Amino acid sequence: MKWTGQDTVVYEKAKEYVDTAVIPLLPVAGGKEQQESVMMGEFTQYLTEYLEKQYMGRVYLLPPFTYLKEESGEEKKNRLSAWAAHFEKHGFKFFLFVTADMQWRKISVEEAGELVWIPAFSVHDMEPGKRHQAIEQQAQQIIPLMTQQWT
Amino acid sequence: MSEKKHRVSRRQFLTYTLTGVGGFMAAGMLAPMVRMALDPALEAGADSDFVSIGLSEDELSEEPQRVDFTVELDDGWYQSEQTQSAWVFRNGDEVMALSPICTHLGCTVNWGTNEDNPEEFFCPCHFGRFERDGTNIPGTPPTRPLDVYEVEVRDGMIYLGQINQRD
Repeated sequence: MKWTGQDTVVYEKAKEYVDTAVIPLLPVAGGKEQQESVMMGEFTQYLTEYLEKQYMGRVYLLPPFTYLKEESGEEKKNRLSAWAAHFEKHGFKFFLFVTADMQWRKISVEEAGELVWIPAFSVHDMEPGKRHQAIEQQAQQIIPLMTQQWT
Repeated sequence: MSEKKHRVSRRQFLTYTLTGVGGFMAAGMLAPMVRMALDPALEAGADSDFVSIGLSEDELSEEPQRVDFTVELDDGWYQSEQTQSAWVFRNGDEVMALSPICTHLGCTVNWGTNEDNPEEFFCPCHFGRFERDGTNIPGTPPTRPLDVYEVEVRDGMIYLGQINQRD
């Protein structure tokens, strides 16, 4: 399900079935690093939207967790854990964090949920059919990490 | 003589011309309105609602196969392409195309991915199951069969139309 009014209505009725939260982790930067940051963001967005589409009955795609590049690892970790804790209190059991940002490889968030790091590629200039295929391929790598938690 | 009989008086001439011109003006105004009012009715029967999936009838088997195709969506001035999928197979004499959207909560179902039930559609989210013709299996979360596409075969090629619900 998506973060939209329509989907929250469905969610209210089917709460007990939706137990997995997917949170994209997006770095935000201006200047020289802006382009890279946008590229990562776009890629992560397509990827998580694909996951949501395939598993919409069990997965809630939350708004992205954004942070400035200079924010310390400790701080990010604490904030993200707070997000997870908050949603855990409200009925979510599993958390999947999807990111293209290398920084997260050095931060351990295992207690909060499963972290997936996937190198981004530029998607904006791809032809839609190609893009769909490429994203699907990447998503196939992540899906087992998510479904394994369920069984 | 006859010329005299048929002479048109000034009054008659004016009446004729005014009626004629007035009629033209009224028709000019009404015609677009009528056309607008009828337009949706004329459009509905158009063939363009059917999309080719690039698969011919001979390529089908009893085993459902997944096809992806794109549909053009018009949302106001904004045009976009949406990728849709279908499970297509031969069911007796007819060609059947099932929507892959689970009727429980909308996850995507796959054919034969559950090892215990290889001859069924399986939803990975809450383990819903469907038979080959899309009938939901009692005791699993879905409450109605998978939706079906309208299918048309033209010159051996398969075209899919709108999605219909069954219950």
